[in-house]
Amino acid sequence: MSEQVPRPVVDVRALYVRFGEVDAVSGVDLAAHAGHSTALLGRNGAGKSTTMRVIAGVVPPTAGSVVVAGHDVRREPLGVKRAVGYCPDVGGLVPRATPWEHLQLSARLRRMPHGWEEQARTLLERFELGDVAHRVTAGFSHGMGRRLSVLLAAFHEPAVLLLDEPFDGVDPIGVEATLEVVNDARARGACVLVSTHLRELAVEACSSVLVLRGGARVATVTARDMAGEEGARAYRGLLD
Amino acid sequence: MPIAASSTSVPRRRPGGRTQLEHLLRNEWCAIVDVGHLLRFRATTISRRRRAVGLLAFAAVTVLAAAVPAYVPGAGTSERSVDVLVLLPSAFAAFQLLVLASAVASGGGRELVPREQLVAYPVSPTTDHLGALLLAPLNIAWLIQSWALLGATAYGVGPDRYLPAVLGSALWILAATAVGQVVAWSIEGVRRLPHGIATVRLAGVAVLAGAGLLQVTGRLGPLLDRVPTRWFVVGLVEGTTWRWAGTLLVMMVMLLAAVVVGAVPAHYAARLQPRDELRSESGRQRPLPEARTILGAMIRTDRSSVWRAVPMRRGLLVLAIGPGLVSLAGDLPWSQLTILPGLVASGGALLFGVNAWCLDTRGVLWRESLPVGPGAVFAARAWVLTEFLLVASGITLALACLRAGVPTAAELVALLCVWLVVLAQVVTASLRWAQRSPYAADLRSARATPAPPVAMVIYSTKLAVATTLTSLVFSGLARAPHWSLSVLVALPFLAWSAVRLLQARDGWVDPVERVRIVTTVAG
Repeated sequence: MSEQVPRPVVDVRALYVRFGEVDAVSGVDLAAHAGHSTALLGRNGAGKSTTMRVIAGVVPPTAGSVVVAGHDVRREPLGVKRAVGYCPDVGGLVPRATPWEHLQLSARLRRMPHGWEEQARTLLERFELGDVAHRVTAGFSHGMGRRLSVLLAAFHEPAVLLLDEPFDGVDPIGVEATLEVVNDARARGACVLVSTHLRELAVEACSSVLVLRGGARVATVTARDMAGEEGARAYRGLLD
Repeated sequence: MPIAASSTSVPRRRPGGRTQLEHLLRNEWCAIVDVGHLLRFRATTISRRRRAVGLLAFAAVTVLAAAVPAYVPGAGTSERSVDVLVLLPSAFAAFQLLVLASAVASGGGRELVPREQLVAYPVSPTTDHLGALLLAPLNIAWLIQSWALLGATAYGVGPDRYLPAVLGSALWILAATAVGQVVAWSIEGVRRLPHGIATVRLAGVAVLAGAGLLQVTGRLGPLLDRVPTRWFVVGLVEGTTWRWAGTLLVMMVMLLAAVVVGAVPAHYAARLQPRDELRSESGRQRPLPEARTILGAMIRTDRSSVWRAVPMRRGLLVLAIGPGLVSLAGDLPWSQLTILPGLVASGGALLFGVNAWCLDTRGVLWRESLPVGPGAVFAARAWVLTEFLLVASGITLALACLRAGVPTAAELVALLCVWLVVLAQVVTASLRWAQRSPYAADLRSARATPAPPVAMVIYSTKLAVATTLTSLVFSGLARAPHWSLSVLVALPFLAWSAVRLLQARDGWVDPVERVRIVTTVAG
């Protein structure tokens, strides 16, 4: 009796994204499974953030197929958005709304059942944002903003967790809380994608690594292959 | 008798051998040169064609406003033109008040380049001051009042002497703007001191109460008859005489002095923290219970983005109360109140509506990832914009109605119809422009604008022309024999706005078009 291969939760095939004259992504294939975390590594402009935005249902693909939790991003963008929790690479916060108001909006639009407040408070404490829950985010430091973005992505326990540059400018406590969120999501069977240019943290957070260069995939390797000095050399080799 | 130079008589030298004065002059010269650099940098954000069209339209309207009234029958000869001349000193003073209020509301004037884009560069407050002066005309109230002042001058003196008089009026407009800027920087300096916000607010209330008292006791009219601007008007209307030349010289000196002196409070204010903005960013907001509906939740988020922004709150106060008080003092009849909703709504749209998607700035990416249809997002934004403009124009009309007496049915219906029509026009135009030309704009600072300066001029002019013409139509209908005429005329206007609004909605709902807007405003 042959063992059945599980279907990927995120299935990206021959993805092309074009903005005017610029090819932001040119032919990315990606398959990410439930209970696993995958890192997207690459230099600035490699197409990591655009790929994440397509998977989040924010940017429509120019060509190729993208299926997230069984929903085609082109045909069922709302289904995709319900399944996904997304931390954008830049900002990602409404400047004159408080963290609590962000959570309220998310809970309302995602039709979360009553009692979400307890989960929200726990997360705010874990990310050390409890004291500023009712202050507008315009006055936040960069690191505080990043932490809140990760929190908002994970808050509703999505089937697909997309974290774009979650460690950028975040202090060690924030990094620890983010790694905890990734581990929790993986443990409950969510599919996690982490886009970053920080190889060491990508290796720590994820089990497999996909390296992008010039808008295309150049390799998919295990996190172990990217670890340590050996991994750093291999990574540099893939970027050149 | 001194036998050697004292320490005070020798000019103090800085490293490099320059005296303090030389150093100061050199710095100020660099600051002036930097204005050119920033202007060129700003100009790159708008296509050459749009810039040229905008400037041409502005120049054309200005020339027309200054020349055409001089050739209107009765200009310079009729009793009406004499009345206009008699009121001109008050109009000069009102213009001074208007530019002052506008500069005060925007915390010293608009920014040539947004603050956060310049933090890494050594830009002097003098550059900031001069940039704000250059941007002062990018304000619908400034434009309309300037054109009205030029037109009134031309009509008052007639075709033979209008050129020197209009030239003088133009110089007054510039001098008054510069003087307003000096006062605005000074008030901004006070506002940034401990208890400064309360002091400025109290002073504002005291001024309003004083004006109200003068009006109630019947002393405002005699006071307006003695305003110092009378001296300037008398000097301008007699043609090219020595008195005219002297008046021009005085205004020129006023202009130059205000431009130079304005740099002093600008430097002072720049050394202090903007308390108003800091307070709104660090204060605790009262948590509200969860919204009952999806649309309600979206509206609540958009509403807080608008009402918690310092430029929006200050702008709304000036826009709503200023014209209302002027109408109250001027005792405008109902048929002329029709001009007010368009004026105020246009000004309100220029505070954020013309780039309505910028409210979320970088948060727009997160909001786009939420599971809600784009139609609901559009509806919430349109509702919040309408609500903002409705409140602003409602306050103005409430003030203006106080002394207008009991209206006829035709006057009342005409006013309500024009209110509805111009609101629909302004909301539709704003959302169409916000979709067609989005910009990354952060409206944190009281001095921020939602779009680059040239775009603001184009938007101001378009809004001013459209709403003024519409208002004039309904001003005529207010004198019509039956009120139903206003309703009949309003219907096609509203239908056309509805069609255009649906087109704007279709643009936003289109995913490719939406991603262009979202990625642009996210910066």
